[in-house]
Amino acid sequence: MTCSDVDRILPDIIDGASMDGNATSADQDFELQSHLSTCPDCSELVSDLRLIAGEARQLSDTDEPAPRVWVRIATQLRAEGLIRDPELPGLRTVVATPPRRQWRARWLAPVAILALAAGSLLLHQKTTSPVTPQIAKQPLVQQPETPVALPETQVAQQPASPSNKAVAPTPRSSQTAPEQAEISPPAGIDDQQFLSEVSSRAPSMRAAYETQLQAVNNEIRETQAYIRQYPGDMDARQHLMEVYQQKAMLYQMALDRIQ
Amino acid sequence: MESLQRTTVVALVVVSCVASAALAQTRKEYRYTVGPNANISVDTQFGAISVKPGTNSQVIVIATLQSDKTEVDNLQHGNRIEIASHLQAGTDQQSGRVDYELRVPADATLSLRSSSGPLSAENLEGDLTLEGSDAVVDVHNMSNGHVHVSTMGGPITLSDIRNGHVEISSISGAVTLKSVTGPLVRANSGSGRIFYEGDFGSGGDYKLTTHSGDIEAIAPADTSADFSAHSIRGKVENDFHLQPHHYRFTPEEGRSFFGSLGKAASKVVLHSFSGRIRLKQR
Repeated sequence: MTCSDVDRILPDIIDGASMDGNATSADQDFELQSHLSTCPDCSELVSDLRLIAGEARQLSDTDEPAPRVWVRIATQLRAEGLIRDPELPGLRTVVATPPRRQWRARWLAPVAILALAAGSLLLHQKTTSPVTPQIAKQPLVQQPETPVALPETQVAQQPASPSNKAVAPTPRSSQTAPEQAEISPPAGIDDQQFLSEVSSRAPSMRAAYETQLQAVNNEIRETQAYIRQYPGDMDARQHLMEVYQQKAMLYQMALDRIQ
Repeated sequence: MESLQRTTVVALVVVSCVASAALAQTRKEYRYTVGPNANISVDTQFGAISVKPGTNSQVIVIATLQSDKTEVDNLQHGNRIEIASHLQAGTDQQSGRVDYELRVPADATLSLRSSSGPLSAENLEGDLTLEGSDAVVDVHNMSNGHVHVSTMGGPITLSDIRNGHVEISSISGAVTLKSVTGPLVRANSGSGRIFYEGDFGSGGDYKLTTHSGDIEAIAPADTSADFSAHSIRGKVENDFHLQPHHYRFTPEEGRSFFGSLGKAASKVVLHSFSGRIRLKQR
C-alpha cells in the first residue's frame, strides 16, 4: 500500500473507525497497518483523524455544526489536495456563470465598441482641428498641444464666441474683468534684467525701452487671455507669435545699441 | 531811446549765441572709392542720416558734429564702409548729436541706424535697412532693392517703392505706404496705424497686421487681388464687391471678409487683433 492508496481510502478508514473500526477488509487493513508502521506521515494523519472522529462522537446533536462548516472543511481539504472529487470520464466540468455575470459580459462588447469609436473620433478631431473654420470659435474639447488648454469641464461651460452674439462687436476699450486683470505690469524677471542692462549702459534710453516693453507685454497678455478663452482660434495664435517677434525685435534693437 | 538800446543789446546777444553754436559745430567730410554693390553702414545714437544717390564709384559722407565731445569712427575694408558716432562720457542727446549726409552709388547696400533720427533715403536701387527707436523714417523712390525698416515708436513712411521685398515692423509707430508694390510687402505695427494707398501691384504677397492699430487700405477699382481681412475683436469694412470663392475660412459678419477682385493677381492679408480694418475704393 502506498501513501496515495491511504489517501484514497482515508474516508473509509475514518467512517469505519467511527462505526466499528473494521470498515475496511481484512487484507486491506493488514496492508494499511503495515504501511502505517513504516510511514510516519500517514500514521500521524490517520491518528489525528481518528481522534477528531472520536471527539466528534462526544458531541450531541444540538452541538452539530452547521452544514456550511463541513462545506468549508471540504473546500479546504480539496485546496490542500488531501481529497479529490471523483472525475467521470467523458464529461467536462462546466462552471455555471451566474446570470448577473452573463449580463455584464453581454454588455462588455458594445461598451468596448463604443469606447473604440469615441477614441477614434477624439483622435480624428485632434488631427483635423487646425483647419477648423474660423467662425467656429466655440472652444473645442480637444486641442492639439495647446499651452493654454482648459480642462473639459471649463471648456464645456465657456460662453459662445463673439461671432454668435447678437450684440455689436466688442469695442476696443471694453474688456472683461479677467482680461483686464491680465493686462497689467509688472514685467517678468528677464524684462527686469533687460531694463537693468539698458539703465547701466544707455540710461538715456531706458524710458523709451521701458515704455515700448510695457506696450508689447500688454499685447502679449491680452492675446494670451483671448487664447485661453478661445484656444481653437488659430488666427489669434498666429498673432501671438507675431507679438513675440516684436518683443524679440525690441530686445535686439536694445542689444545693438548697448553693446 | 532806452528801449531801442535794450533791443539792440538783446539782438547782439542772440546773434553771438547763434554764432557760438555754429562755431561749435564741426563739419567733416569723408570720401571713399568703391566698386559695384558697395556695403555701407552708418550708426549714430543721436542725429539724422540722409542718403541720396551720387556717382557710381564714390561714397561721400558729410558729418556735422554738434560738439567736440563726439568723434566719427570711419573704416573702409575694400568695398565695405563703416561709419559710427563715438560718444564720450557725459554726452547728452544735444551734445552727442551727429548728422550725416551721404552720397552713394545707387546700387549700394545700406544699413542706417539712429535712435533719434530722422532717417531718410531716396532714389536708390540697392538693399536698404533702417533702424531707429523713435526716429522718423522716410523712404521714397526705391526700386529693385529690399527695404527693411524697424522702429519702436517712430513713424514710417514709404512711397514709390517697387520690385523689392518690403518688411516693416514697429511697436507703436504709424506706418504709411503709398504706391508700394513688390513680390513681398510686410508691415506690422502693434498699436500704430497702418495706411496703404495703391493697387497692390501684380503677383505680390501683401500682409498688413496690427495688434490694436487700425488698418486702412485704399485701392482703385481696377485692383487685381485676393483679399483676406480679419479682425479678432475689431470691426472690418469693405467698399468693394468681392467675388466669393472657395476658402478654408468662413467669413464672420462684421469681423472678416474674403474674396477677390479682378484676376486676383496679388494676395492681400489684413489682420488685426482689435484694430479696425477698412478696405476703401479710390
